Amino acid sequence: MSFDRPKELLKPVRRRFIYLSFVLAILIDLLPLPVSTVLWLPDFIALLILYWVINQPRRVSVGTAFTLGIIADVASTGMFGQHALAYSITSYLALLRQRQLIMFNLGQQTLAVLALMLANQIIMVATRMATGSAFIGWSYFLPPLTGAILWPLLTKLLLLPYRSHKV
Amino acid sequence: MDFANNPSFIRQGLSPGTRLAICVALSVALLVGDSQYGLMEYTRQGMSVLFYPLQRAINFPLVAARRIDDFLTTQSTLQAENEVLRRQQMILLSRVQRLESTERDFEALRTLNQLKSERSDAASLAEILYTGRDPFSYKIIVDKGQDSQLHPGQPVVDDRGLIGQITRVQPLTAEVTLITDKTLMVPVTIQRTGLRAILYGYGGGVEARYLPIHADVRPGDLMITSGIDGLYPEGIPVAFVTRVERNPDSAFIRVTSMPTAGVQKGRYVLVLKEKSNVPTRPTEPVVPAPKKGKTQPDDSTE
Repeated sequence: MSFDRPKELLKPVRRRFIYLSFVLAILIDLLPLPVSTVLWLPDFIALLILYWVINQPRRVSVGTAFTLGIIADVASTGMFGQHALAYSITSYLALLRQRQLIMFNLGQQTLAVLALMLANQIIMVATRMATGSAFIGWSYFLPPLTGAILWPLLTKLLLLPYRSHKV
Repeated sequence: MDFANNPSFIRQGLSPGTRLAICVALSVALLVGDSQYGLMEYTRQGMSVLFYPLQRAINFPLVAARRIDDFLTTQSTLQAENEVLRRQQMILLSRVQRLESTERDFEALRTLNQLKSERSDAASLAEILYTGRDPFSYKIIVDKGQDSQLHPGQPVVDDRGLIGQITRVQPLTAEVTLITDKTLMVPVTIQRTGLRAILYGYGGGVEARYLPIHADVRPGDLMITSGIDGLYPEGIPVAFVTRVERNPDSAFIRVTSMPTAGVQKGRYVLVLKEKSNVPTRPTEPVVPAPKKGKTQPDDSTE
C-alpha cells in the first residue's frame, strides 16, 4: 500500500454517499458488542467526520459534526452535548488546517488524525469530569490509536467508488 | 484535481469560527441542561423511540443466529440438559414444599404480630437490548418500558442476585443503572452477622464503605439487601466479600467485593416490584430559623 495520495482524476463525490457513510458509522455505534470492545474500538463517527472535513470541507463542516454529535450522544446513552461539543471543536481544528492536511501524504495525515482524535477524547474526558464523573484511566486514550492506524485503510476504502477508471 | 477542495469565490454563510461558537454554546447549554436540571428527558425519550426499530434491525442477525443455534441443538445435548433439569427440579420441589410450610407459619406469626411489610414476587421478564457504549457509566437498556408499566426505582435482578435499578423509562425501553455504577448505592446486611452496610459502586466493581475497623467481616461473606430503604425487597443476594484490608491508618476497613449476579453477562433480567406498604416517614421536627449574621456552632462539629 503506497502512502501517497492518489493523483488520478476522481469523480465528484455524491452527497448520498456521505450520508450513507455516516449512517453506517452510527449503526456500528449501535451494534450490541461486548462491553470490552469499548476499550479499543475507535470512534468511527469521529473518524468519518475528520475524513469528510478534510476532503469535502464545503459540505461537511462544524454544523454537521454537531448534529452527528447529538446522535452519538443518544446512541451511547451518555450525556447530551458531550459528543457534540467534542466533535464540533475537533472538526473546527481540522478545518483550520484543512489546506495543509489535504496536501499531506497518508503517513503524515495519520499522525495529524491521531492528534485530532486524542484532542477529541481529551475534550470528552474534560466534559465528563466537569459534570462530576471520575477519571476512568489511561486506557480511554487507546481507541484514537487504533483509529489512526485505520486511517490509511479508510481513505483507500472511501476513494474506491470514485476512481474514474478501473485499476 | 478535486474541485470540492477549491475555495469558493462566493461567500458561503457564516465563517467557521462563528459556527463553532454557536455549536459550542449550544452543546454547553445542552450539557448544563442535562446534567444539572434534567431538561432533556423528553428529547431523549423521543429519540429512543426513533432508535428502537433501528436497534431491533441491528440485533436481528444476532437473534437469528441464536435461533438457528437453538434449532440445531443435537438430541444428545438436549437429553443431557433434560436430565440435569429434571434432577434440579426434584431438588427444588422438595425445597419448595419445605418453604411453603415455613411461609405459612411465618404468615401466621406476622398476622399475630400485625406486621405489614410483605414481599410480593410479582415481576416482569425483560431482555437486554444493548449495553450503553459510554465508558463513564454502567448502564444497560432493556426492551420493556412504559408499555409494561415500568417506572424508575424498580429493582432489577437476574437468577443469581441484584443487577441494578431502573433509572429512566422510555416508551418502549428502559435504562437500568448497574450496581457497579458510581451513582448507585445499595443498603445491605452481611448475612452471617446481620451487620448493616452500604454498598457503593465505583465504576466496574462494588465495595462496602464506612465499616468500622473492628467490624466482623470475613472474605466469603454474602451481602444481601437489607430492605430498610423501602426500595429493594429484603434478602436479595448482592455481593460476596472477596478481600478485607485492615489498615491501622484509617478509621474504616477496606472491603472489596464481587457482585453475585452476572452484572455484565446474561440476556434476560427480572424487574421486581418495589417494596410496598412502607410506613410514611415521621415528620421532621421544626428547626428554629438560624439568626442572621451569626455562624452556627453545630455546623463545624459535624
